[in-house]
Formats: sequence, C-alpha cells, structure tokens
Amino acid sequence: MPGDVKVVERPRAESSYVRAAAKGMSITMRHLLSPNKKTQQYPDEKWELAPRTRGTHRMAVHEDGRAKCVACGLCPTVCPVNCIKLVPAEDESGERYAAIYEIDEFRCIFCGYCQEVCPVEAIHLGVHYENAEYSRERWVYDLERLVEQEHDVTALWDPQDPASQ
Amino acid sequence: MAENGAKATVTLTIDGVEVTVPSGTRVIEAAEHVGVVVPRYCYHPGIPTRPAQCRMCLVEVEGRPKLEPSCTLQAADDMVVNTASDTARTARQSVIEFLLVNHPLDCPICDAAGQCMLQDYAYVTNQLESRVDEPKRIMGRDRISDDILYFADRCVICTRCVRFMRDVAEDDSLIVAQRGDKAYIDTFPGRELDNPFQGNIVDVCPVGALVHEDFVFKARSWDMDATASVCPGCPTGCNVTIDTKENQIVRVKPRHNAAVNSWWMCDYGRKHLVMTNRGVRAEVPLIRDGGGDGDDGGELRPVDWATALDWVAEKVAALGAPGGSAVVSPDASNENLFYLRTLLDRLGVADAAFRVPQGETAELPTVPTLKLRADRAANAAGAGFFGGRRADGPPDGPAGGALVVLDDELEGAGEDFGGSADFFLYLGTRLPGPARNADAVLPIATFAEMDGTFTNFENRVQRFHQALRPPGLARPGWMVLSRVLARLGDGEAVNDVRGAFERMAAQAPAFAGLTWDGIGLKGAPAAGSAAEAAGVAGPAEAGA
Repeated sequence: MPGDVKVVERPRAESSYVRAAAKGMSITMRHLLSPNKKTQQYPDEKWELAPRTRGTHRMAVHEDGRAKCVACGLCPTVCPVNCIKLVPAEDESGERYAAIYEIDEFRCIFCGYCQEVCPVEAIHLGVHYENAEYSRERWVYDLERLVEQEHDVTALWDPQDPASQ
Repeated sequence: MAENGAKATVTLTIDGVEVTVPSGTRVIEAAEHVGVVVPRYCYHPGIPTRPAQCRMCLVEVEGRPKLEPSCTLQAADDMVVNTASDTARTARQSVIEFLLVNHPLDCPICDAAGQCMLQDYAYVTNQLESRVDEPKRIMGRDRISDDILYFADRCVICTRCVRFMRDVAEDDSLIVAQRGDKAYIDTFPGRELDNPFQGNIVDVCPVGALVHEDFVFKARSWDMDATASVCPGCPTGCNVTIDTKENQIVRVKPRHNAAVNSWWMCDYGRKHLVMTNRGVRAEVPLIRDGGGDGDDGGELRPVDWATALDWVAEKVAALGAPGGSAVVSPDASNENLFYLRTLLDRLGVADAAFRVPQGETAELPTVPTLKLRADRAANAAGAGFFGGRRADGPPDGPAGGALVVLDDELEGAGEDFGGSADFFLYLGTRLPGPARNADAVLPIATFAEMDGTFTNFENRVQRFHQALRPPGLARPGWMVLSRVLARLGDGEAVNDVRGAFERMAAQAPAFAGLTWDGIGLKGAPAAGSAAEAAGVAGPAEAGA
C-alpha cells in the first residue's frame, strides 16, 4: 500500500459544471457585446508597431536614388550572425560603393548593430515584419530590394535623448 | 666607437626605466628598448633623414625648458626623458588637433583604416571634437604614378615618401608642392615617378594618402590575414608579409630583415607574387595505369592520392635504377628539391636540369643587398645544392629510363616530350600541354600554399609559411614525395614541414646544423656559404 491516501469530498456546489459554464458564458457575452473589443482582424487590420520595433532592413538612398552605402564593411564585421555579404568596388567617379550587398533576413537576429555601426546612416532596420516568402532564396535581400523597401525605419534611440539618460 | 675619448654606450632614464644604448642612438630608438613607442609620423627607421617636422615625437627632458623631438635628440648619459608627461601629451594632442583640421575623416572608405597612425593617435589623444568652424579644404585625389594613387586630403605631409625616394632610392622625382594647408605631394614638374622601388612609398605612408591602385577598396585591414613569407621573384629573397582575404592574395608588403632587404622590396616582386597563384591549376592526381572505363588503357585518369602514390611507388620499385633525366623548377622549395633528389638517386638519375628565366635588374642604391636580380627564380641556389644543372633552351626528354619533372612549365618542349621515357612522372602546380604525356601527374602546392624554405643568392636559408589553402587535392611536394619514398621503405611519410626539414638537415650537407626553429623568421646562412664564412650570426654557430 502506498501510504494513506486522503480522500477529500468535493462540495457539490463546486463539482457541478453548470455554475462554471454559466460564468464562462457570461464573460463571453460580456466581451461579445462590449464596445472595447480587443480581437484584431489581422491581416485586414495591422498591428500598430512601436517606433523602435526592429524588423526588415531598409537601405537609405541619396536624392538621385543611389544607395547611401559606402561599402565600408563595418556591418558585416559587427554582425553577430554573419548575415551580411558585402563586396566593395569603385565606380566610374572613383567612389567606393557596394557592388554586392546582401542581407539574409532568415539568418538575421534583428539586433540592430548594423544600423548602429553604419557611419553614413545607410542601412536601417525597419518597422516591418511581414516578409513571408515561398522560398528561402527570396529571404536574401539584395541591394535593389533593400532600396525598394518603403516601410518606416527603426528609431534605435530617442533623438531627444540619444544616450538614454 | 671610442673615438676622441667618447664612450661606446650611454645610460639614460626613459619613463623611469634606466636603459643603456650605444652612443649616438636617438631617444626615439632608445625608448623602444624599454618598450615605449613614441608616436611618430616623419621618423622611419629605414629612412636616414630625420627632419623632425611632424612634431609628434616631442618628449620632455628634465632640465630643458622646451620639449625636444626624440627622433633627432641623441641619447646622452644621465638624461631623464619623460615621454608621457602632461606637457608632452598636450603637445601631441595639439599636433593631432591641427592634423585633423583638414583631414576628411573618411575612415569608413579609407584603405588604411585599422592600420593608420593618425587614426590610432586620434584615439589615444581622445581627440573627439574639432574647435574649427571653417569648412575643410578639399583637394581630391591624384595619380602620382601609373599604379599609385595619392589622396591629398588624407595626407599629413610627413614627407616619408619624398624622403624615401630622395634619400633611399636616390630619385628626386617626388616633392612637396605648395605650402601650409595647401601643401601636397606631387612629382617634380616634367618628371614622372617610375622607379622600380616606388611601391615602398605606400608602405611608409603612415596614413591612407598613398594607396596602390590595385588595392584600392579591395579589403579592410581587419579582414586580412598576414603570413610571413619570402618573395619568390628573384634570388634576393626579400622577406615579405602576404596579406590574404578569402584565400586570395590581396597585398604584399616587405618585412624587415636587415641582412637581406632592410625595410623594402621592389615593385616587380609585389606584382609577381600577387600573380603567382592565379591561373588554372592541377588539382587531382592522374595516372596512366590502364584502368578506368577506357579499353585502350592509354588514358590519364583521375584517382585518389592513395591509389596514385601506390601505383607510382610500384612503378618506381619495378624500374630499379634505369637512369634517365630530370627537369626541376628553380622555384621549388629546398624540401621539395631534397625529396626529389632522394627519389632521383633511387632511380639512378644524376642529371637535373633547371632553367632560370632572365629579366632586367634594378638596384636600390643605398641598400647593397637589395637588388632585383636577373635570375627570375627564388631558389636556383637550392636547386644547385641538390645536383641541379643550369640549362638553356627547351628541355628534351631522354631516350629511355625515367623522366621526372618538378613543377617546370616545360615551355618550348615538343609535343611528344617524354614519350620515349620508360616512366614519366610529373609533379606540378599546373598542367602544361607536354605534361599530359606523363604516366603520372601529382598535383603539388605553390610556395604560398605550403611551409618551406628557399635558399637565396648568398645561400641564406629563409622560411616561408602557408598563406593559402591549396586547390583541390594539391599537396606540398615534400608531403607527396615523402609518401612515395615511404612506400619504397625509405623514411617516413611527413605531414609537417619540420619533419621534412629535419631529414634534409640530417642528410644534405648544405643544411647541416640548421633547424626549422633556429632559422626563425629572419633566415640563416647555409653551411659553408660565404655569408657563414663572413661570420654572419646564424643558429648553426649559436647551437655549436
């Protein structure tokens, strides 16, 4: 015998499901009729994201449409998961530019270091998360695609208080 | 020198540490003895002139009212030098602040970033902000020779480049043009910069003002791996550092060795070394053993190393000592040549011809040992040690016996080269047409892809190290040959160059007494060489 088992009689009032079911239904009805319903009709209704949300990257451009990136190589250096591929080159006017710039959004952990380290404020994370694709390859964003992104860029810090003091 | 009663050494105190140095030593060099590197721009140990114009190396000397430039200040007895006093630091900070007034701070795109003395000292002096509201002067960039770019905005006018050309290369084609904040480096009007040693001005530049055109925007300094090596361009054997990125050589820089190349190297060497590893390579062992799917059995077929080595060893054993001939490359390392010689002795092949391409010579007037020599091969001396015979003209195969070729391109050889040999073994980095007649092709690594040694023109044995991964199944020649010999019961298969070198030192008289560690990164004279006879310190003597 595994010791003494104490058998507790449950009061009838608690063991009946009727009361609990009625209570549950009342909560359901209350929420159903309430004016401040919280259920979000995604994807018809989108989330309102915080300005510091770190999501899909976006490349800033000059007025003439060229990417601002100067191919300095700091973002692939600082990236903790090596998701940025960069090959620098020289253009006709002797300026340094990124001949190849690819970010693997699948591998990215959205830490925001690339945006933080960028000396020319070219690469940004974005306030955006909807990037489902049918293939893995499509998750590697090349420079053209990064430039095409239109979402807001992440505010990594408060402009009024950049040092968070 | 005890001349006029002067003492041979002086003792002074630098930053609280007493140090004794030969008299005549400058304080900046004496400070390095106690581990203090005084910041400097215009001072370079390889350039004899010291204008003391950058004002970066100012130090405080007790008892003297003003700061003194340590690059020209001679160390004297009882001198008490303080390199990091408040006054010295403030002076240094002011210099940096002045230099940064017009510096573009384009570190993100500058090729010197990470290896830049202005960047380093700006951090050290904590120069975060500029007090200047005026716009920076912008000068742009210029091409001062066919392969060197000059970014005038980055220049700190230390004149190292001008003085290297004038005082070391004795070529006064570079000048400082204009004055003050408009000063820039340019070629003298009507002159061109076309010195065979001009590439060194890029190495002496403390900032990113002078850049080789073929290196511009290629690699950031922190992406590169540096490997100590030896230039294979000519028998001088300049000590170099090979910078690699993603298994590609991106840059070659001279490495200081007072006995060989001082601080410099020639432009031919730089370009030649970068090109060494380009081109299509032999990557798989090939044998003509009658196997494979072809029924004629006459085709070379790719096999794995074990099969290839077994088959070659079997053939060599079956041949006995039929005699024959060999063609070796004067670019092969000592270890490769040694193992080849061991194999050739077994085959009874005495003759090993090597052909040395010739080129134009060039001299650096102030460094007598540094010369671009006419022989365009790294190790002709080594080939000579192992029974090599200098030959001219295209190689011709023997009319029988064995034919062994070590990494010779077989230029000028006939289409049926080696066809009449009983056994034709080709060890090579590439696979030129005539090598396809071989009975076995064993792919080997280039000098940049393995460890080894070269013997330079004055029989100085110098180590080089592996900078790149060999392509495909290519392996170092000594590794391959030691395995062939091991299968024949001669020695062990070596995986480490130390093993190969040890066996060579034990068996080859020219290398007697040398050890891999003893050679070190500066090289050592081979036994019985002129350099050793002249009393150049080497491990052979140190060990005795």
